[in-house]
Amino acid sequence: MMIEALIAVALIGALVTFVAPNRVAGKLAFAISLVPAALSLWMFTAFDGSGNALLDGDLAFESHLEWIQLGEYSIEWFVGLDGISLPLVVMTTILCSLAILSSWTPIDSRESQFYGLVLFIEANLIGVFSALDFFVWFIFWEAVLIPMYLLIGVWGGPDRKYAAIKFFVYTNVASLVMFGAFIALVFGLGDAVTSFAMPEIADAMVNGGVQSSVFGIDPGTFTALVFIAMFLGFAVKVPVVPFHTWLPDAHVQAPTPASVLLAGVLLKMGTYALLRFNFTMFPEQVETFAVPIAAIAVISVIYGAMLALAQTDLKRIVAYSSVSSMGYVILGLIAYTQFGVGGATFQMVSHGLISGLMFMSVGVIYNVTHTRSVEEMSGLADRMPIAVGILVAGAFGYMGLPLMSGFHGEFTIFFGAFQADFAYAPLFTALAMFGIVIVAGYLLFALQRTVFGPYHLETDYDVGRAPLHDVAPMFVLLALIIALGVAPELIFDMITNAVDPILNGGDL
Amino acid sequence: MVGTGAGPFSYAPAIALFPLAAFVISLVFGRQLPKKGAIPGIFATAASLLFSLWMFATVAGGETYHETLYEWSAGAVTTEVGAEEIAFSFGLLIDPLSALMLVIVSLVAFLVHVFSLGYMNDEGETGLPRYYASLGLFTFSMLAFVYADNLLMAFMFFELVGLCSYLLIGFWFRTKSAPSAAKKAFLVTRFGDYFFLIGVVAIASTFGTVAFAGEESFVVAAETAIEDGTTLFGFDAQTWVTITGLLVLGGVIGKSAQFPLHTWLPDAMEGPTTVSALIHAATMVAAGVYLVARMFGYYALSPTALSIIAFVGGFTALFAATMGVVKDDIKQVLAYSTISQYGYMMLGMGVGGYVAGVFHLMNHAFFKALLFLGSGAVIVLMHHEQDMWKMGGLKDKAPITYYTFLAGALALAGIVPFSGFWSKDEVLFDALIVGLEEPVILAAYAMGLLAVFFTGFYTFRMVFLTFHGEPRTETAEDPHGVGWSIKAPLVVLGLLAALVGFVNLAPIAKVAGMDITFLEYWLDGEYGYVEGLTYHHYHEMVAFEEGYIGSETTTMLLSAGLSLGLALAGAFAAHTLYNVPEPKRHTTKLGGAYTVLRNNYYQDEYQVWLAEGLTLPLARTADLFDRSVIDGAVDGVSGASLFGSSWVKRIQTGLVTNYAALIVAGFIALLLGLGLYGGWF
Repeated sequence: MMIEALIAVALIGALVTFVAPNRVAGKLAFAISLVPAALSLWMFTAFDGSGNALLDGDLAFESHLEWIQLGEYSIEWFVGLDGISLPLVVMTTILCSLAILSSWTPIDSRESQFYGLVLFIEANLIGVFSALDFFVWFIFWEAVLIPMYLLIGVWGGPDRKYAAIKFFVYTNVASLVMFGAFIALVFGLGDAVTSFAMPEIADAMVNGGVQSSVFGIDPGTFTALVFIAMFLGFAVKVPVVPFHTWLPDAHVQAPTPASVLLAGVLLKMGTYALLRFNFTMFPEQVETFAVPIAAIAVISVIYGAMLALAQTDLKRIVAYSSVSSMGYVILGLIAYTQFGVGGATFQMVSHGLISGLMFMSVGVIYNVTHTRSVEEMSGLADRMPIAVGILVAGAFGYMGLPLMSGFHGEFTIFFGAFQADFAYAPLFTALAMFGIVIVAGYLLFALQRTVFGPYHLETDYDVGRAPLHDVAPMFVLLALIIALGVAPELIFDMITNAVDPILNGGDL
Repeated sequence: MVGTGAGPFSYAPAIALFPLAAFVISLVFGRQLPKKGAIPGIFATAASLLFSLWMFATVAGGETYHETLYEWSAGAVTTEVGAEEIAFSFGLLIDPLSALMLVIVSLVAFLVHVFSLGYMNDEGETGLPRYYASLGLFTFSMLAFVYADNLLMAFMFFELVGLCSYLLIGFWFRTKSAPSAAKKAFLVTRFGDYFFLIGVVAIASTFGTVAFAGEESFVVAAETAIEDGTTLFGFDAQTWVTITGLLVLGGVIGKSAQFPLHTWLPDAMEGPTTVSALIHAATMVAAGVYLVARMFGYYALSPTALSIIAFVGGFTALFAATMGVVKDDIKQVLAYSTISQYGYMMLGMGVGGYVAGVFHLMNHAFFKALLFLGSGAVIVLMHHEQDMWKMGGLKDKAPITYYTFLAGALALAGIVPFSGFWSKDEVLFDALIVGLEEPVILAAYAMGLLAVFFTGFYTFRMVFLTFHGEPRTETAEDPHGVGWSIKAPLVVLGLLAALVGFVNLAPIAKVAGMDITFLEYWLDGEYGYVEGLTYHHYHEMVAFEEGYIGSETTTMLLSAGLSLGLALAGAFAAHTLYNVPEPKRHTTKLGGAYTVLRNNYYQDEYQVWLAEGLTLPLARTADLFDRSVIDGAVDGVSGASLFGSSWVKRIQTGLVTNYAALIVAGFIALLLGLGLYGGWF
């Protein structure tokens, strides 16, 4: 019942925070959020699962509860964790706590509602990463959208309504496509499945798949269509070029803590779902579509990085660089080797921490300068040395500096992709790797102009050192990034253990 | 003879960990400490030096060390040669090469730390904790790079020294130029490292190992693959070794500032002079060449890769030396000289002259650190003036600085018997004997030889303009004094620059038939050695033919005479032009060449154009495309549905009669449709 406890604490915490007075809401929400963070850390140390959750693995913290019988299909409350989902859950709980802490300075209206929504998101995010019944999973998946829509739409910047609606409608339409495709698949599998439990569906897919034609479409084509529809559905969430345009708008308008969660966790929902559905249930289609997907990955990396290079708004730079980084994850997944898929999963966690750190740093700068434009400031290192020091460290983390987590993620992805089976895999890999040069270009350029050089600020504000509660979460993230960079085996072992069955047709 | 974990080698990790501790202490407590963090740095590097000497002595006693200490990441692979498991780990390899380099790095780092006490602390500088912390982190990374036992670990610390270089070049971040130079240095070397990383990934994917030494190394695996005629990634094994070797070379060219990625180094002089001495002359820039030496067995398998190394080296040696001739800033002269000297090392390596390359690497580390620190002392004397035309006559006012600087200059110019002569001569001799059989190498040799003249010229132009003649400004009349912490490192390095060449007197050994080429014995396994990493092993593998003019001794004397003669000619030319009481600029004599040289052959221009004239507009075009076409399509879809709904909503008139009419019309349409479908008509 550990997972239920995590979700329940966050949900009840959300309710309590909603009714709490504004002035204590921030501290209250932070205190509450420490509980799931501590619990998930304990779960991390007590983890005894092995194998893949969908492919006959031994789950940790598993629990079932009969729920609804829908004709021949049963729907049950079914949650559990394996080596892929556990690190993501831990990252989520930690990032939520830190995001709440980093909200103390910038959020100064309707605090109780704001922090309530953050805790509500946290509950749903934990649900997304731990649910193993499709319906339960889908409820959490959709429920994440609403609080995020409100966080952007209520506490966001000047253009917040446009950004919030675009985010909501775009990702929701995509979910609809994916949902329709998946339901069609379940019906297509016929008698092979009797529930919406994801392991059962995965098992049916891996051992046999769709046997007879569905809606007059032959099984092979049908499965391929479902694969494509689901890929597109998740691609918007990741986001993959060309479905990425909601992301920069949402990031620029979102308040800092929402950006932290959006880049840190929400994007990983897309890649996590890709891994759980497309890359676990459709091994044959993965092979068929390897080259086009690898091409999409390379385009995401390079095109995303080029877009980042053209920006002058710090948040837009980090937003586009997320598109680029998620391209690496897709490349790792499509490699379909242990290092590739394992590296992609590692990169999800690593990018969550690093992009979280970057958005926090940009937020801390914005708190004092009230601008994010590269052209309106310079020499900030002079006034806020510690915050800038962490920003510089975070930027190098983003560039994949060795002994920080990003390097392990990227290196293992590159290594895994280089030896992939599909045509011209080494060439695709080498092309995608050029991202490491462009990322250095745009981040160093931005650093040179904003934090170095003679001190200058267009907006008329007094810049001083950031308060401790702004800097402390950044220190925590930096420490985690370095810890995972020096000792990646902390999570990489359990990840590869859960990845193996995917690649070996269900065997450990 | 690979030792086990016991004995002195179990203390080897401490060599790198001392400076890491200094980094943490200076960063956290630097503000509270006396001397702002200098003391932990000095003690840490002193300890590293002592431990390095201890390791050196142990290797001299016949033992070596190769041990995996920590597994970083591991997993299953499918490689071209059939390996199924790979473990990326941190391990140490202490053999004659790395033991020698550990001593060089920790010695120079120690001296630079001491020098910093006089150079940085005296000036009321803020940010000293940051300076010493970065210096500590650098020393840690560099030492870890040196005794890394595998290619991935080497790459990781190779990148980390790049970070430290960035931080230290940009130390004076409040200026506009320093952050810009720092960015350029990191970017240009990153560009090289991009190829390096592809090389690492390719080598690991091919052979399933990244180890430098032992039976499990990628060098041995490559040798086996070539012997067996294996196909690797669709290429025959030798071609693939050449390709991957050249990819790794990308990183070498970036870090060792070889053409065409040399442009960052002159800009890097924006950093404090101490940093230039340690990082941008003696150690980090050496990392590239050191890497070639470290995996020389791999390059030895590919004559094509070696020839490219030699040619790039020879070309860079000449190319950079010509630019050094017209510089007015003392540090700029030294920067171009550094690029040029690393060209010699590459030339030496490329022709299979492993000993010559390493010999020059060592000598250069000492005499160039000396020259940079000497220029640092001059800058102190001159109250932060770096233009040589504003100096003059410092000889009598600062004799210790002068004589040590002169020792460095003589070594750099390659005047007998100073250290640079012996190593440069050996490089050129090795290039000549291979060149007599291989025309490409002969061209590389010719360029290297010609560069000797320019080296002699710019070196003594610098010495004469700075120290000789009459003082040309008031500051030069009455220079600032320098303390012991500046003088002591100069004296130590001055002695080394003068004497260290005696460890490998190859020409004398040949002529007199004496066994005095100690460095060669050292690298050849006369003391401790690791199987497969010795000079004669490399020498057997390199497939170059060697030719002689007359006998070997004649060729050697001819080569030595030629390079010494050219060096003296260059020095003499500088003497005639600049060793006068009131020297003049002789730039008009160069005509149009002066403009080209002054502008560094327009190398910066085209690279800046590549970044700002090509990539940036391309990025802006992509951005425009993204906003208009891609996002336009997204907004278009929503616009279309909004437009559609605004049209459809007009039927909601609110009049019951209209609705009733619609319902009836709809019902009829439905009936008609069903009827048509059901075949009623």
